[in-house]
Amino acid sequence: MPMLLRSLAPTLIAAAVYACLALFVTNSYYQLTLTLVLVWASFGLSWNVLSGYTGLVSFGHAAFFGLGAYTTALGQIYFDITPWLLIPAAAVVGGVAGLLVGFPTFRLRGHYFALAMLAYPLALLYVFEWLGYQELTLPIKRDNPFAYMQFSDPRIYTLVALVMLLGIVAITRAVESSRFGMALLAIKQNEAAAEAAGIDTLAWKLRSIALSGAIAGAVGAFYAVVLLVVTPPSVFGMLVSAQALTVSMFGGVGTVWGPLIGAAVLIPVSEILHAELGARIPGIQGVIFGMAIITVILVAPEGVFWKVRDRWMKRRAGAAALPTADVVTLPEHVIPFVAAPVKSTARPERPQGRVLLSVKGLSKSFGGLKAVQNVGFDIHEGMILGIIGPNGAGKTTLFNLLNGFSLPDTGEVLFDGQNMVGRKPHELCQAGVGRTFQVMRPFLRMSVRDNVRVGAYVRAASEDEARSFANDAVERVGLTAVADKVAAELTTKELRLMELARALAGKPWLLLLDETLAGLGHGEAEEVVAVVQRLAREGVTIAIIEHTMQSMVRLVDRFLVLDHGAVLADGDPASVTRNPRVIEAYLGKKWVNRAQA
Amino acid sequence: MNDVSRLALTRRTMLAATAVTLIAPRAFAQSPADVKVGLLVPLSGLYARPGTVMKMGAEMAIDHINKAGGVKALGGAKLKLVVMDSGDTVEKAKNAAQRMVAQETDLVAASGAYLSSFTLAATEVTERAQLPVLTLSYSDLITDRGFKYVFQTSATAASQARQALPLLMMLAQSASGKLPKTVAIITDNTGASVASAKPMREGLLKEVGLELVMDETFTPPLSDATPLVQKVRAAKPDLLFFLPTVISDAKLVLEKMNEFGLSQGRIPTISFGIAIAEPDILQTINPALLQGVITCVGSWATKGHEELIAELKTRYNEPWMTQNAISTYGDMWLIKDALEKSGKADKAAVADALRSVDGGPSKYYPGGILKFDDKGRRVDAEMTVVQWQNGIPVTVFPQKLAVVEPFWPKR
Repeated sequence: MPMLLRSLAPTLIAAAVYACLALFVTNSYYQLTLTLVLVWASFGLSWNVLSGYTGLVSFGHAAFFGLGAYTTALGQIYFDITPWLLIPAAAVVGGVAGLLVGFPTFRLRGHYFALAMLAYPLALLYVFEWLGYQELTLPIKRDNPFAYMQFSDPRIYTLVALVMLLGIVAITRAVESSRFGMALLAIKQNEAAAEAAGIDTLAWKLRSIALSGAIAGAVGAFYAVVLLVVTPPSVFGMLVSAQALTVSMFGGVGTVWGPLIGAAVLIPVSEILHAELGARIPGIQGVIFGMAIITVILVAPEGVFWKVRDRWMKRRAGAAALPTADVVTLPEHVIPFVAAPVKSTARPERPQGRVLLSVKGLSKSFGGLKAVQNVGFDIHEGMILGIIGPNGAGKTTLFNLLNGFSLPDTGEVLFDGQNMVGRKPHELCQAGVGRTFQVMRPFLRMSVRDNVRVGAYVRAASEDEARSFANDAVERVGLTAVADKVAAELTTKELRLMELARALAGKPWLLLLDETLAGLGHGEAEEVVAVVQRLAREGVTIAIIEHTMQSMVRLVDRFLVLDHGAVLADGDPASVTRNPRVIEAYLGKKWVNRAQA
Repeated sequence: MNDVSRLALTRRTMLAATAVTLIAPRAFAQSPADVKVGLLVPLSGLYARPGTVMKMGAEMAIDHINKAGGVKALGGAKLKLVVMDSGDTVEKAKNAAQRMVAQETDLVAASGAYLSSFTLAATEVTERAQLPVLTLSYSDLITDRGFKYVFQTSATAASQARQALPLLMMLAQSASGKLPKTVAIITDNTGASVASAKPMREGLLKEVGLELVMDETFTPPLSDATPLVQKVRAAKPDLLFFLPTVISDAKLVLEKMNEFGLSQGRIPTISFGIAIAEPDILQTINPALLQGVITCVGSWATKGHEELIAELKTRYNEPWMTQNAISTYGDMWLIKDALEKSGKADKAAVADALRSVDGGPSKYYPGGILKFDDKGRRVDAEMTVVQWQNGIPVTVFPQKLAVVEPFWPKR
């Protein structure tokens, strides 16, 4: 909690300044603008909770906003309930609506999700028109205005909105710094990677849309109180959904500050343009406003906040760059790279323990293409298995079958004696199977430590434990020196190691590495190899996919060679590298003859 | 009736004015301060066009009032129009209203805000600021909230729904000498159309003795009107109620009726609302197709407004005068009358004067008298029936307001 308080400090200061400003503004029109800035900032934050953090863009947040507004209007008109109670009720309605919308819609991704979301407010708009609620007004309360939030002093609206906004900021901050926020960020970067890191993506997404819907519902309810008139187009309209996007995208997506900056700039500017030009050159305000937004988006595509922050960080980094040269010292340094397969000397024989993973008769076809055919092998505890094969041999497909990313047509995958076929990736991760991806998906703006922490939640019971797991994993891959850098500043090798650390942070029994050495120079590959070897010595069982044999030869205890989806050879490195069929698959017939000659 | 003579700038009044100038130069030297009147209408966005026409009406009225000597009770004070753009959303309308009351504190009254929902939001603000507002919006809700500072000059939506059918029956009776017996309805399924058609089906038709022989609802946009119009031809109704919202749909149906020989008033085709009589419609539909089409509207330029129509045409190039222009024109005169009555350029006094005004027969609003009931509704407000004749929609009913005779098939 104290950390949360510290992270809220800048917001609290901004809020105090804003409150002072509001207290001195006596012009009711300026005061209304001050209130509306807060309303749209809150709505932007609600959008941010879902779309900013998960990356699933919602074009339909007006659905929750409108339901909130109608909850207030109908509640007061028909049941004479005060908005003080109706605003929390609207939050509940919004949250439930979020779940109802999310459950079917999260089957879709990307543009399809965005477009499907667009449909909800449009449908609701017609439903409410059909129900005969074209125009509702909140009844005027002349006797007891305060009890019904009908303040005669407009400053109170601003203050109420400010308190509400602060509450929403606190919630967002709490989400941001917890495993909730980490899970959402992981989903945003790569949903598959998130699943692999043990995150139940659907559950977190549902939590996120429910929270987002609840906030939007409450904001919509307050909006109804401010405007006193609710019509379907004014709360379910396209412009309402767009408002959430505009303020967030302008200010910066995926940060608390984004919607605040966006609303604080855009709402007054649009209103001033409207007031100054609307009656003289009608329509020009829209043109200027639109062009201003386009310009800002061209200059700062991710929003004002990130642009300013990146520039500021760069300047600060520039000032203090030289002293901390990033020397990554690995405890035991690298053996010079040897190209030819020599007999394995450096590595002591490892115990061949019990069978950790057993694969039997695994097959998978994509239409006529048999990507994996009747593959079977065992991985013993403590060993390093290298799965190799030329491009297109079916290595990654096999990996995805092991991971739960795709379902095999036949066969079984026994992990620790249990058949894991049909389990979701995050369940496999929880069971103790970690993995890395061929294409790296680091969370570029987060520090190395935080990147790794995302992977720790699958085992960690608390935030503290997650932190300690992450630190441990960072140390094991030798990245402690750069642990506080943001991922964007790392080299490819460091990113590979960071991915490894992220998988390690979940304390897996079995680690599946997908082309971890891809894209590395020879020296760098050796460093990564050394780390993998060390992990193996520490007791982690590893299966590693590569299509080059070179660096693998000294690393692995056993090779599984795939070609055209089937097992071509299976054995220790020395025999496999001499196997004529392997040489043929890799190099062609000519080389077989030469090798035998 | 008084107003007309005031309007006409005859040689005699000029002479009188000159005489007054000569006799009492001091009164003019210290000309009284202008009295500000607000106009809150949409000037940008989707509703800019009707808002602009309302502004034309207001400007014309202000000019006429000022030329005729301003507010006499205030020593000939001139009226000054303060125009606010209510934009195209409820939020913008509320913002504009708030700006109006916060920054133009010396307004004595205002008129606005075209769309009912804008008027509702704006009057929430003006009510609390105790600024009297005149409106041509129809929604009953506007004057059902117990507000004291809003005055509705048109018949409300519910009242129009009650009035329209009997009015049409009277028109048919007087034009053709017999009462129609059967009716067909073609309506789209948008909110406004459904709201109009539903009470008709559920009893209003029966009350006036009409039998519904065909009832078709379509979803805009229509791709082909043939099946609809074929059914009309087969049903041979005495009347066709046609309620489109989208102009392209109106065009398709009217073209097809023409093709089938049902147009030109052969089957009296009746719409409701202003959409089918707005000047914009001529950009898409040939006026020949519209010939004979009838619509019931809350207000229209009627008998006695000929000079206004002519002036609107020369000054703004508007082909005819819709409700938006004439009603807002009337609002300015009504505010002027209230100022004369109260004798003070003060919003509370003007509001009092409006509440107790009793100006006899209304000149710029159809039917009834210039008097408001407790709710703020104009007493006995009526509506007008407008028919497209030779490319212009003109008032044909009630007779006392009609500019020309309606044409109606005499079968």
